[in-house]
Amino acid sequence: MHLYYLREAWRSFRHHPGLAWTAMISLTATLLLCGIFLLLTHNAQSAVRFIGDRREMVVYLRDEIAPEQRDALIARLTELYGTATFVSREQAWEEFSQQVGDPQLLQAVDQNPLPASLRVRLRPELLNYPAMEQAAKQVSQFPEVEDVRYGGEWVRRLDELQATLARGSLAVGVTVALAILLVIYNTIRLTVMARRREVEIMIRLGASDRFIATPFALEALGQTLVSALAALGLLFTLQQFVVQQVVHVTFLPPAWIATFLGGAVLLAWAAAALALARTLRSAGP
Amino acid sequence: MITFDHVSRRYRERLALDSVSWHMAEGECVVFVGPSGAGKTTLLRLITHELAPSSGTVTVGTFRGPRLPRAKRALLRRTLGIIYEDFRLLNDRTVFENVALAVRITGRFADTEVVPRALYALKEVGLQQKPAAYPSELSAGEKQRAAIARAIVNRPAVVLADEPTGALEPASAKEIIGLLRRVHDEGAALLVVTTRLDVGEALGGRILRLHDGRIVADGATVRSPYAPPALGVRPPAVAPDRGA
Repeated sequence: MHLYYLREAWRSFRHHPGLAWTAMISLTATLLLCGIFLLLTHNAQSAVRFIGDRREMVVYLRDEIAPEQRDALIARLTELYGTATFVSREQAWEEFSQQVGDPQLLQAVDQNPLPASLRVRLRPELLNYPAMEQAAKQVSQFPEVEDVRYGGEWVRRLDELQATLARGSLAVGVTVALAILLVIYNTIRLTVMARRREVEIMIRLGASDRFIATPFALEALGQTLVSALAALGLLFTLQQFVVQQVVHVTFLPPAWIATFLGGAVLLAWAAAALALARTLRSAGP
Repeated sequence: MITFDHVSRRYRERLALDSVSWHMAEGECVVFVGPSGAGKTTLLRLITHELAPSSGTVTVGTFRGPRLPRAKRALLRRTLGIIYEDFRLLNDRTVFENVALAVRITGRFADTEVVPRALYALKEVGLQQKPAAYPSELSAGEKQRAAIARAIVNRPAVVLADEPTGALEPASAKEIIGLLRRVHDEGAALLVVTTRLDVGEALGGRILRLHDGRIVADGATVRSPYAPPALGVRPPAVAPDRGA
């Protein structure tokens, strides 16, 4: 990459500041919209992951099983589904008492009605509705098991929420990508048209497409990078405001920021390549 | 060097060139003279592959074919020096930058290569005092001299000129003719198209008369009595590079 190309890109920017600033403002607004959705998605995903990590299957045991049978079952469930923890009838009552909190209400129950149970923290690949349903059916077949609970409806809704978020992210991502392509594409076309005479002269002098296109592409990449950084800055300001005024939300992690910047620049490059391939063909003899 | 073999070019119903055949040898000076609409500019545009012939074959050096692909067209044009009636200088660049651009287009970017070549070309055309001037600050004659500097800066084997004195008053026109003669005397082949016979005669080359798309006369080479002596300075000893 020759310094000449960078100088030419800067020259183009200085000669058409109106066009360049219009493009950068449009890009910043588009990328800010994308950033806001990424921030929402990131925080929603964190919340869902936190809730999802607490999803577990509760296996209620028959009263009459021996400790050896219980230990064998724990080993089997741990092997097949995930870490199983024994909760005795007394521990279950203790937890229940703490949750209810009202002594008078507890005294009304003359004896502990709660069964002993195993809490199975499922392996990550089983943390979805179809897998949990399947696992619950299998576990309920064990002779030592009285009943299995896993909050099927709740798990299904959680899965649906995650799927909706993923679809929303994809839809916004595609929309923003198209918007970036459109803005860059049209900006480059307008810039080339504004400098049509110069481009024509260069073509007549024997300039290669690469020689003519590189400064335009660099200008577009530079505008996009600056716009993406500006959008991130505005997003950070917005996040700080929300944290102080409304609710705690975390900013995008470094990997997401890098992907955001890299994606924007990559899209700009694709749009520039498309626009230049088309406009240069029609620009000169 | 340049050969037209029964070349015709049609614009819809109008025949701009009608089965034209001619040859230009290396280092030769050829002047096409003819009225407006005779097909002179079409002829130049066929040489630079801005147009493809409707029939026949155009050969320029090793480039031959109906319509070259973009990359080859660019390569062909880098081997030519082209001068236009309306100069076609970039108005937002200085004279030096206009000339330097033609060097950079050939793939030379280092200032150590670009600067001496551009300054030398400006010196050849007598614009060494005005490298920082913008085209808008130059007279028409000076603009054409800057365009000539741009055309010769890469030491092309052929210089093409489309009505090089068309926009100039007589004194400037005489200067430009003198400059073109010098370029030819330096060894470059020179092809000029013009409406003015006196320009052709002053250049002293082989005059071909073009009328209604046909060559109606192919004159003998005449040495102009106005031809100035060759430049006393030699170009830098750098071999032309066609890559970019």
